[in-house]
Amino acid sequence: MDIDGKYYRSFKDRIKQLEDQHSKEKVDKQHAKGKLTARERIDLLLDKDSFEEIDAFVVPETQGIEFGKVEKHYGDGVITGHGKINGRMVFIYAQDFTIMGGSLGIVHANKIVKTQEMALKMGAPIIALIDSGGARIQEGIASLSGYASIFYNIIRSSGIIPQIAVIMGPAAGGAVYSPALMDFVFMTSFTSYMFLTGPNVVKEVLNEDVSFEDLGGAEVHAKKSGVAHFIYDDEENTILGLKKFFSYIPSNNVENPPKIEGTNYTPDINPKLLDIVPDDSNKAYDVKEVINNVVDKGSFFEISELFAQSLITGFGRLEGRTIGIIANQPKVLAGVLDINSSVKGARFIRFCDCFNIPILTFEDVPGFLPGIDQEHSGIIKHGAKLLYAYSESNVPKITVILRKSYGGAYIVMNSKNLGGDYNFAWPTAEIAVMGPEGAVAILYRKELAESDDPKKLKAKLVKKYREKIANPFVADEKGFIDEVIDPAETRKKLITAFEVLSNKWVEAPSRKHGNIPL
Amino acid sequence: MAKQKKKLYALLENKKYGFNLPLTETIKIGKREYKIILKEDEKYGTYILWKNRRYPVEISLSRQNKFDILFNYVCYSFTIETPFSLKRKQYLDKTKGPVENEVIKAPMPGKVIEVLVREGDNINRGEPLLILEAMKMQNEINSPVNGIVTSVNVGSETSVIKDDILLEIRII
Repeated sequence: MDIDGKYYRSFKDRIKQLEDQHSKEKVDKQHAKGKLTARERIDLLLDKDSFEEIDAFVVPETQGIEFGKVEKHYGDGVITGHGKINGRMVFIYAQDFTIMGGSLGIVHANKIVKTQEMALKMGAPIIALIDSGGARIQEGIASLSGYASIFYNIIRSSGIIPQIAVIMGPAAGGAVYSPALMDFVFMTSFTSYMFLTGPNVVKEVLNEDVSFEDLGGAEVHAKKSGVAHFIYDDEENTILGLKKFFSYIPSNNVENPPKIEGTNYTPDINPKLLDIVPDDSNKAYDVKEVINNVVDKGSFFEISELFAQSLITGFGRLEGRTIGIIANQPKVLAGVLDINSSVKGARFIRFCDCFNIPILTFEDVPGFLPGIDQEHSGIIKHGAKLLYAYSESNVPKITVILRKSYGGAYIVMNSKNLGGDYNFAWPTAEIAVMGPEGAVAILYRKELAESDDPKKLKAKLVKKYREKIANPFVADEKGFIDEVIDPAETRKKLITAFEVLSNKWVEAPSRKHGNIPL
Repeated sequence: MAKQKKKLYALLENKKYGFNLPLTETIKIGKREYKIILKEDEKYGTYILWKNRRYPVEISLSRQNKFDILFNYVCYSFTIETPFSLKRKQYLDKTKGPVENEVIKAPMPGKVIEVLVREGDNINRGEPLLILEAMKMQNEINSPVNGIVTSVNVGSETSVIKDDILLEIRII
């Protein structure tokens, strides 16, 4: 081909025009806000030179626009394509705030839809880098239809490929539902926010003053609403966090999670585990110490760290294989199950179940949180979600009871009859219908009322109850526990047990889908 | 990995320490240069090798760019910043409003067993402030910030309900 000829030259000119679209002023403006441009984000996320763009030269819809105007440019404010993260294929779409505020018009939406369809067909994860002003008002209802198609595709792909949203700028109005429908949401502090109705509307309708940050900033969503699973201080770390997260999950629902080869310095027999749980059951401890002394060194990666902290969720590895970990955290609210922690746990279990990630549960739970607030807000149905999720999941499930395991909470936390494959207990475990104080008060109400020294009698009865009932041996003898294990040997036992379960196969009953109490 | 030097900063209590990756392995004390080796192995964990002696380093928390490191019985909390993220941090610090007081509220209904601080006390992040008994468990309430206790609103044996104000801290 004649490279000085007309056709080749216009081909080259077009590429130059696309590059010129990202003028220095626009880039600087984005940098001044502490944000990166869409292209810089993609370069950070993907392996060097692995990105292949699709539909770079589409132009926005300008027909039939009667209100406002649409500037002509290439790409319509979103960069779509595919590339590799540590050698594994992903599809990606990154909204470009420098072009019409990243607003979503019909062409922009069609590009995203095309990417989603390709990702689903190829069984590769999809990552959305969101930085958009919302629907393009000039295009009217067409842009809304665009949103609807995107949502539809997310739901079609849900549970087949992992879908991850990274919020790096505004996401307002209906646009927030695409991250909400996806599996995990990453946010960058101070420069990203999500809300259905913005501060202006709040002011107009409710006459309340609230800032962007206080209404829907990263911190709010990480701590209070639980919408954001991961938040980081800046975009570079957000993307690095995403890359790390990515190393734990498989590419689709028929693949197993990747096995990481390499050193792990956690000894299979670890005496440190003997020193963590205090004998006095009124004393708290940090369950993360237990986790870190069981999983491969440095492999524990927590999810929703700041939300409903009484239940810990996260990924870890045992000999390089990913497991999902759920643990009651006695250090926070005594490790109680409440509405938020139940919902957090249930959603995490369902993700693990979709993507063949075995589940390990560390249990030390005093029960469900009592109180008017909880009951009136529906702890019954929210707690049922956790129960449902555990029973429904058919990936390998192992429970280790560290200490308290009482009542309804015992049942919910993956007990044997809910489908737990292996249920271990440490010698410190207390498994019973209720705690000693409560049980004694009910069973010996009359005796206690008539006694001359009820305090002394109660203490005596509590001691007796602990010896006779609140221990792991009764459950062990009746077969509700598979084995009482030496805490030091926990890792070794778990590795063997997960190995046994690696080919577990359970036929799910034939039905459209169950009816989880939403 | 390409052998390319990358400039990074460690931020410790608003002090900035620049270093290069890969680590240059020498530091200057006075006029003399010393060679320092950071190592990790199965037997000893992570340690610094200096003048043929091992000094163990325990990484008690690592969360992306935030680290808590235990060394010589002192805990150092710091963040690692790249030149771009450092600029962003400085820009955001400027735009942030004045720091407000930190109000510690009861996380759940319960009874205060013991108050461990008094008005005017200087406290660091992570230090226990009081012990709250709830769900038959003694919960330590730790300070989320560095600061000075400005008011204590509860004593031992005070019953509290959720969101009762326990104490206030002025952030420093």
